[in-house]
Amino acid sequence: MSLFQIVEVKKTFKNGEVDEQVLKGINLTLKEGEITALVGASGSGKSTILTISAGLQRASEGRLVFEGKNLNEMNQEQIRKIRARQFGFIFQSSHLVPFLTVQDQLMVMLNVSETKLKKHEQKEEVEKLLKIVDMYHRKEAYPPSLSGGEKQRVAIARALIHKPKILFADEPTASLDSRRTKDVMTLIRELTRTMDITTLMVTHDEEMLSYADQIVTMKDGLIQ
Amino acid sequence: MNIAWKEIKKNKVRFMILGSIIFLVSFLTFIISGLSNGLSQDNAALIKDLPDGHIYMNSDAEETYNASKIDENLQSKILGDNKEATAFSIQMGFVTDNSDTQHSVAFVTSTGSNLFENVGKGEVIVDSSLKEEGIKVGDKLTNNQFSGAFIVKGFVDKKTFSHAPVAYINTENYKEIYRVSEMQLLFIPGEDKAQSFSGLQSFSNKKFLNTIPSYSAEQLSLNMITWFLVVISGMLFAIFFYMMNVQKIGLYGILKAIGFKTISLFVMMWYQMIFITLIALGISAALSQGFAVIAPKGLPFDLTTEASIQLTFIFITIGFVGATLSGIQIKKVEPLQAIQQGVV
Repeated sequence: MSLFQIVEVKKTFKNGEVDEQVLKGINLTLKEGEITALVGASGSGKSTILTISAGLQRASEGRLVFEGKNLNEMNQEQIRKIRARQFGFIFQSSHLVPFLTVQDQLMVMLNVSETKLKKHEQKEEVEKLLKIVDMYHRKEAYPPSLSGGEKQRVAIARALIHKPKILFADEPTASLDSRRTKDVMTLIRELTRTMDITTLMVTHDEEMLSYADQIVTMKDGLIQ
Repeated sequence: MNIAWKEIKKNKVRFMILGSIIFLVSFLTFIISGLSNGLSQDNAALIKDLPDGHIYMNSDAEETYNASKIDENLQSKILGDNKEATAFSIQMGFVTDNSDTQHSVAFVTSTGSNLFENVGKGEVIVDSSLKEEGIKVGDKLTNNQFSGAFIVKGFVDKKTFSHAPVAYINTENYKEIYRVSEMQLLFIPGEDKAQSFSGLQSFSNKKFLNTIPSYSAEQLSLNMITWFLVVISGMLFAIFFYMMNVQKIGLYGILKAIGFKTISLFVMMWYQMIFITLIALGISAALSQGFAVIAPKGLPFDLTTEASIQLTFIFITIGFVGATLSGIQIKKVEPLQAIQQGVV
């Protein structure tokens, strides 16, 4: 069953006097619970389509249909609410808040998503997920004291703690070595399966394609 | 969960530096304000302590109170019509004590009234600051213009004029010293609006202060210093929060990307600003009150609770405005840009 539809999405940037079209009409359907991997050379538009789908920038044309509504017609506040409650993000860098402990990173996300859970329930959820990502023993640690792999595991937990419907991952293992890449991808795969989360992931890494249910190759702003 | 508080807890040094600067500037402002008010009291307590009303002087005196001479008939008529009114005169002079030491005083005399000390002929009531100069009740004070001697009958607290302690004397004695028969000024308390009398010019108590030589210039200078400090504090707030915000642009972008409301980021900044400011101002206010206690007696320092509250309120307002202006960049932060820059 489709959860998110990208219909004839185009994106044009102004480059001085010249209009540069980086997306030339993308059509893509994300199926519920599946991992879709976007691959392609640099400049093919894969990161642009991911950020547009995640509501971080607007499409110049086209529709992004999520739960029957077109994201491209929503105002900033409506998109923010969707980002906070229904979407999860994993970036290339972990982008953790430097002055929050590991468990507070997750508590903040629960607050932002305006969860209906009570305080003690929130704490239980956080601890449960930290155990799953094997970071419970470091729950009081601050980001600067974590290794790259640990930071990314916390970032994954933060992206999933509010049980989003879609996870957007922009090269989530780019800063990790191959052993840690495997660990992190296995973790993403297991968690999204268990929690029934749909994933759209941008990657350069061919190794990661084995974790995807659908592989979409992009070239020059079009799906091949 | 209070993310603002967590940041303060984790970055104590950064916030302590900001707080200590606010403390130093506000402490200086409190002290200058205390000195300004102290000098103002020292210069004009006699007038400032009067109830609301209007002071009248001769129009021909051109706003110079010691050149004013109220016509005796007019004075009698006004005092007859206004039961609470009083006529009074002030002149700077000297008294000499038993040990031949001269003391500068402001001689004040008035027609019978509760607003000024009433003294008999040959008696004087002086400001308590003269106690510290060795004058006691019963001492004899002389003046080279006065044929007799003044017996000190008592002291009054904090009654000064033109930076000199007030010496209340009898009208007859005053007339003898200054060879005058008229009073200089009339005061009618409790009026909303000044009455109009032919040949007299009216002043509110506040306006009358400006006729005291040097009062305006002195107050203007001190008030300018106080307000400069307040403005500088506001700029410091803006600059410090701007620098802090610039360092956190990436963080704000990520927080926005994961769904933080812009207003929540502003609230976070306001919370930090108010927290630091209140602590810094609390310490400043407490220390400046402590300073009032330990300050040398001769130092005119008067920081009222009202003035402290007023300054605190101004500081918080200006801090809020400064921080908010510097926070405009929060509104402009694009989450996508922060993510692509790979900050944090």
